[in-house]
Amino acid sequence: MRARKVLAGAAIVLATAVVATACGGKPDTGGATTGELGFAHNKPWNFDAFSKISKQDIDISLKSTQYSGDPYRAFIRQSFRTKESPGLFTWEVSTALDELAEQGVIAETTDLWTEAVDKGYVTDAVRQLYTVNGKQYCTPISVDDWVMFYNKSVFTKYHLTVPTTWDQLMQVAATLKQHGVTPFWNQTKNFSFVWFQTLLAGTDLQLYNDLSTGKAKYTDPRVVAVMNSWLDLQTKGYFNDPGQTDFARDLMREGKIAMAPEGTWFTADAALAGMTMGKDVDMFVIPAVRPGAATPIAIETAPVCVGESSKQKALGLKFSQWWMSPQGQQPWVKQQGNLPFTPDAEAPTPQMKTLKTTLAAGKYEFYNRYFEATPVPIRTVALEQFSAFLTNRGDPMPYLTAIQAAADEYWAGR
Amino acid sequence: MNRSGATSYQGQARGFLLPSLALVLLVFYLPVLYTFYLSFTKYNGLGTPEFVGLENFASMFEDSAFLDAVRNTAIWVVGTLVLPVGLGLLVAVLAYGFRGSGWLRLPFLVPYALSGVAVGVIWSFMLGSGGALTQALQFLNLPGTELRWLQDSPLNTIVMVIAASWQGVGVNALLFTVGLQSIPKEPLEAARIDGATGLRLFSHITWPLLRPSTTVVVGLSIVNGLKTFDIVQAMTQGGPARSSETLALTMYRDTFVNSDYGLGSAVAIFLSIVTVGASIIYLRRQLSLSSSSLGGGK
Repeated sequence: MRARKVLAGAAIVLATAVVATACGGKPDTGGATTGELGFAHNKPWNFDAFSKISKQDIDISLKSTQYSGDPYRAFIRQSFRTKESPGLFTWEVSTALDELAEQGVIAETTDLWTEAVDKGYVTDAVRQLYTVNGKQYCTPISVDDWVMFYNKSVFTKYHLTVPTTWDQLMQVAATLKQHGVTPFWNQTKNFSFVWFQTLLAGTDLQLYNDLSTGKAKYTDPRVVAVMNSWLDLQTKGYFNDPGQTDFARDLMREGKIAMAPEGTWFTADAALAGMTMGKDVDMFVIPAVRPGAATPIAIETAPVCVGESSKQKALGLKFSQWWMSPQGQQPWVKQQGNLPFTPDAEAPTPQMKTLKTTLAAGKYEFYNRYFEATPVPIRTVALEQFSAFLTNRGDPMPYLTAIQAAADEYWAGR
Repeated sequence: MNRSGATSYQGQARGFLLPSLALVLLVFYLPVLYTFYLSFTKYNGLGTPEFVGLENFASMFEDSAFLDAVRNTAIWVVGTLVLPVGLGLLVAVLAYGFRGSGWLRLPFLVPYALSGVAVGVIWSFMLGSGGALTQALQFLNLPGTELRWLQDSPLNTIVMVIAASWQGVGVNALLFTVGLQSIPKEPLEAARIDGATGLRLFSHITWPLLRPSTTVVVGLSIVNGLKTFDIVQAMTQGGPARSSETLALTMYRDTFVNSDYGLGSAVAIFLSIVTVGASIIYLRRQLSLSSSSLGGGK
C-alpha cells in the first residue's frame, strides 16, 4: 500500500514536470522586426563585426553562437521540436535542405527571392540551388567560385607563370616537384572530394551531373578512368601527405604546398594565416582537363535559414532579405574580402575585381560543388571511401563499388 | 521514538525523495526508453518515426563496418585491460612502501587530469603523418619511419589504446595503491616469516587480498573500453574509411552524421546490452569467487 502511494506520488511529480516542460516559455507572436536576432552557425567567420553594421543599418543585431562538427546538424534538427529554434541559422544546399523544406520546418523565402532576382541582386542560377518543389527556402550569404590559390613567392622563385590549360598546370606541377615543392594540397575526410570533383567535372561535366542525380554509376568506366587519373597524380607525388591535418592556408604560408583548390572564401583563410592577397597569395581559374565549349567552375553557396515556428521568424526573414540585398551584401564581402554574388556589386579587392572580370568575359559553366550536389547518405560514404583511396593508393574499383552500393540504396528509396 | 513515529518519518523522507526520483526518471530512464523505441523505427530527426520492426538490427549486423567496430571495441577492451590495468598494478606495487612513493606516482597521474580530447590532440601531433614520432625515428636512424600509425588498421587502434593507456595508468595505480594500503599487515608478516618474498609473496598473498580493488579497476576498465569514444574521435574520427571505428563512434556516425536515428539507436541499445551484460557477468563471477573464498576460510 505504502509502495503504491510512493509510486503514485512519483507519477504525479513526473507528470507535473513533463507538463511544466511542455508549457515552458511564453508564446511569442514573432512579429518584431527589430532587436537582437539569435543566430546559430558553423562558420569560422566574424559575425560580431558584421552585427555592428546590421545594427546600424536595420536595427537588428546578431547574437551569434558557433557550433562545430556534425552535432551542429543534429542540434538544428532537434531545435525544431522545441519553441527555441533559432531565428537564423546556417545550413547547406544539399538534400539536407530538401529534408527541412519537405518537413515544413523552415520558412519559405520565395517572395524574397522573387524580389531579389527581379532587382538583379542575385542570378536565377543561384535561385535554382535554393528551390525545393518549385518554392525557395533560405537565402545566400555567399556564393563562392572554386579556383586555384597559389603561393606567389614559390611561383616567382621558380619562374612559373599562371597556367591557362590543364597541360600547362601539369607542367607547373612537374617543375615544382623537381624542385622538391609539393604542387597541390589534398586532404582526407571532409575535403577528400576536392580532386575527384576537379578531375571529373573538368573531364566530363555531364557525367558529373549525372552522377549527382543517380543517372550514372560510380562504377562507370569513365569514372574509373578519372579515379585512375587521380591515382596517377598521387603516384607522381603531386599531393601532400593526405594524412596531414594541417590547414591548407598554413601549408601554403610555409611553402610546403604551392597550390590549393578552394572556394573564394579562402581569402579570409589566407588572411588568418597572415598572408596578403596579391602579395603572398593569388588565384587563377582551374583549367578544364578536357577543354570544351566552356570551362567548368564549381560554386559553393552558404545559406542562412529561418525556422518556420521560430519566435523570431519575422526578424530572421527581415535580416535574410537585407543580407541578400546590396545593402547587406556589400559590407559583408568587404569584411570577408570575397566576391559578391550581386552581379552589379563591386568586388572588394583588386584580385576579386580581376576574377570577376575574367568570369564575366570568358565562357564558364558553373556547377554545384560535390559536397552539396551529392545526396548526404551517398556523400558520407563517398568521403570515407575517397579518404581510404588517398590513404591506400591502388585499384579504385573497391572504393567506387562501396560508394555505388550506398548510391543504389539511396536512389532505390526515392 | 515509537513505531508509528518512525513510519511517519520514513514517509516524509520518501516524499523528499520524489523530486530527485522524478528527475532521474525524466533525464535517465525516459531517454533510455525513447532510444529503445527509436531503435525499432526509421527516423531522420524530423517528422514522425516510422515503425520498421527489427530492420535496423538486421542492417546493423549486415554492415561489415559494424563488425569491424565490434572487433575494434574488443581490441579496446582487451588493450585497456592489459596495459593500463597491468601497468597501473605494476606502478602501484613497485612504488608501494618506498619513501616518497607519491612523487613516483605523480607523473603517471598528471595525464589523468587531461580530457580524452586533449590526449587525442597531443598524440595526434606525435603519431600523425610526419609527426613527432616519425621525425624522432628518422633523427635517431631507427626503423619504423615507414609506419603509418594512424592510417593503417589495426595499427591505428593499437596505438590509440597505447595513448589511452598513457592517460589511464595513473588512476589505476592510485586505486591499486589504496587497495595495497587496506591489506592487513598480519598475513603479509606471517607469510614473510614463513619465507615468502618477491613474486611468491605477491602471487599467493598480496594479489588475492587485492581482489576488491582489482574487481573495481577491472570492472571500470571493461566498461570504459566498451564505450571508448573521445580519444578516437579526436585522433582519427574512426577513419580512414571507418577502419578504427568503435561501437560508440558507429552510434555517433549513424545518428549525428547520417541522421539515421533509428540505426544509431539500435547500435546504442546493442552497446548498452553488451556493456551491462559484461559488467553483470564479471561482477557476479567476482562476487561468487569472493563468497567461495570466504566460505573456504571458515
